[in-house]
Amino acid sequence: MKRRDFLKTAFLGVITFALNKVDSFGSSPSLYPDLVVAKGERPCMLVRSAILALGGMSRFISRGDVVVIKPNIGWDRTPEMAANTNPDVVAELIGLCYEAGAKLVKVFDRSVNDPRRCYVQSGIEKAATSAGGKVIYPDDRKFKRVDIRGETLKSWEISTDVLEADKVINVPIAKHHSLAGLTMSIKNWMGVMGGFRGLIHQRLDDSLADLAAFIRPALTVLDATRVLVRGGPQGGDLRNVVKMDTIIAGVDQVAVDAYGATLFGIRPEDIGHIKKAAMRGVGKMDIDRMRIRRLSPK
Amino acid sequence: MRLKVRKVRPIFQIVSLFLFFCLFISTEPRGEDEIRYPVKIFLEFDPFIALNVIFANRSFSGISYFFVFTLFVTVFLGRVFCGWVCPLGFINDLVAKVKSRGNNRERGWFRIKYFVLTSIFAASIFSLQISGYFDPLSLLVRSLTISIYPSLVLVLDRFVDLFYSSQFLKPFADYLYTFLKLTLLPLRTPKFSQSFFVGSLFLLILFLNMVEKRFWCKYICPLGALLGIFSFFPLIRRSISEDCVSCGKCELNCAGGLKVKRGKWYVSECIECFECEDACQFNAIRNGVSGKKEGVDLKKRHLLLSFFFGGLSVPLIRINPLYGERYFHPRLIRPPGSVEEWEFLRRCVRCGECMKVCPTGGLQPALLEAGLEGMWTPILVPRIGYCEFKCTMCGQVCPSSAIRKLSSKEKEGTKIGLAIIDKSRCIPYAFGRPCIVCEEVCPTPKKAIWFEEKEVIDREGKILKVKQPRVDPDLCVGCGICEAKCPILGAPAIFVINVQESRSDKKRIFF
Repeated sequence: MKRRDFLKTAFLGVITFALNKVDSFGSSPSLYPDLVVAKGERPCMLVRSAILALGGMSRFISRGDVVVIKPNIGWDRTPEMAANTNPDVVAELIGLCYEAGAKLVKVFDRSVNDPRRCYVQSGIEKAATSAGGKVIYPDDRKFKRVDIRGETLKSWEISTDVLEADKVINVPIAKHHSLAGLTMSIKNWMGVMGGFRGLIHQRLDDSLADLAAFIRPALTVLDATRVLVRGGPQGGDLRNVVKMDTIIAGVDQVAVDAYGATLFGIRPEDIGHIKKAAMRGVGKMDIDRMRIRRLSPK
Repeated sequence: MRLKVRKVRPIFQIVSLFLFFCLFISTEPRGEDEIRYPVKIFLEFDPFIALNVIFANRSFSGISYFFVFTLFVTVFLGRVFCGWVCPLGFINDLVAKVKSRGNNRERGWFRIKYFVLTSIFAASIFSLQISGYFDPLSLLVRSLTISIYPSLVLVLDRFVDLFYSSQFLKPFADYLYTFLKLTLLPLRTPKFSQSFFVGSLFLLILFLNMVEKRFWCKYICPLGALLGIFSFFPLIRRSISEDCVSCGKCELNCAGGLKVKRGKWYVSECIECFECEDACQFNAIRNGVSGKKEGVDLKKRHLLLSFFFGGLSVPLIRINPLYGERYFHPRLIRPPGSVEEWEFLRRCVRCGECMKVCPTGGLQPALLEAGLEGMWTPILVPRIGYCEFKCTMCGQVCPSSAIRKLSSKEKEGTKIGLAIIDKSRCIPYAFGRPCIVCEEVCPTPKKAIWFEEKEVIDREGKILKVKQPRVDPDLCVGCGICEAKCPILGAPAIFVINVQESRSDKKRIFF
């Protein structure tokens, strides 16, 4: 980041901070909003101001933490196709983690297509590396079978990078999905699974709820800057991509997904895995009862 | 004291082998669309495969003209390629060092390679192009790709596993291994169905150096024979002066295995190694401008016989119902951009570069799917690895245009087969449960796999809704990702056969 950009961002950040009257010092967490919905042109600004409104990255990341950021890098598609998380969003988060004192930030996904093509074509490898993140390619050796203690998913191979991380940040992209209905935060956890994932598709909603209950992220940032409204999860046709310029951030992944569903005009309870995750107490999906802070940073 | 050539020559050989390995390593998909330095650059200088492909196709198209350079150099300098450049020749030299001492003897066997050459060219003239099985460069790339390199990677993999079991060494191993994977090694351990077969033949060639140094080069290599024939006007010629005491040291060292002392100088067998001159204590041997060259005495009878042998093998191999229009191997799925099957067989030099560069590892050497002559040509085995929708690597590395280089736009419209659903195994059809993985992974912008929402009843009579997949034959490109990811282990409920492929007019079910 150029110095001018940094200063601009910092300045705007302070303004946002002041305008929102968020006091991150000495206040109890309950004072923070449940969700922050930021709208605007520049993805990095959206991320920065949304995190600030949630209390700043230091609320989630402690000094010396090893952080795993889990974007969606599932497909061999370029950023404008909206099949993978926006690289600018990922890069901004990495920067914020380091600002909060993280020791190391790893970026990882177990892609569906060839990982090398996915990492490169999605633009995430380049963006993450230049932000100082460590991009990790999936390796069978790095998946360990662990007890999920789920109702459907009893045990599965999970990435040891995720298991051993001090903090995990989930950075999914909001997309249409032919089987799951929508894919956002909860569905994004399939990317930390090893083994033959096709096998959970017969009981997908239950398995996803189990997975979401098992992995508790410190923070969830949903990328809805470009949104695939049809032909998901892979896309490939620009006509199915809608520019929504939105970032939704929160601690409760179910809440984030619940709000995300409304972007598609879908009620959260109509998405099986959101409903099941809520029923299992992973989070709340009742949007009316959430404190939502809306921002539109320039 | 004059400069000993034996000190200089290995430097050239090392540089050449190093260059070869660099290109080989860089023939690896790293996520970019383009591959910059494929090892095909080496193969493009090879006149043997180039001429065979040209003869078999009766066309110069799709062949690089670099091979003319090699021939041109050979005309004036003899077989310098064999002695100074050929990576397989150098590997043979190295292996031969293991042997305690030379037992060079002149055998009439060196004529064999000319018969090999004649047979292969005869077959090519009658449209059966099999030069790749015997060409040293093709053989080397193929053996490394299919056997040697994967074996090394596997050994390293297991070695790293050992490190991983120790908490103390794990971070170190992790760091080193990640570094290696992104530079020297492939991301995933390559696995090929005929590793043992191809590798054994390669090891046999290396082992033959124990019988005699450079056994392969002297007796079998048809490229060596071709270059030998082209050594028309050698500028450097060998001569022996009266100082020769017939000690025979030169013969022990001759890389061509010839009777050097007082013997004839067969220019076509000399690989310009200068070992004879270096070995002579009496300075009786000179490689200078004067000297008399001799051609190899090949009997016309034998040449004719090998020509007929090569020519007759064509109908013998082609009498095979597999080449019919209705009867063919349905799993003969060629890489995208492959030319029509007959031309493909005439072009492919079996180097295996496409298999090296395939990011999913789905391109495998064929056994008999394309008949005997199609052995080791590439076929896609989707269950091992599907064809990555946006990847065009195989066409970029093919040295003889058996696989055309496609633009990404062309690639998206190139069909290599058609996906077929087996309802008796497909989960929503046969078991009445949700699945639809095939539809999810189908890569075409408008998905070739779509689904119909159907109501089914379970055994209690309860009505359930499942999505049953269907294939749109107009959109399916046959990439096989559906087959690769189908949850029915072992016997996928959706699989690709090679009908509807773009390159053929005949294998169409739907128009």
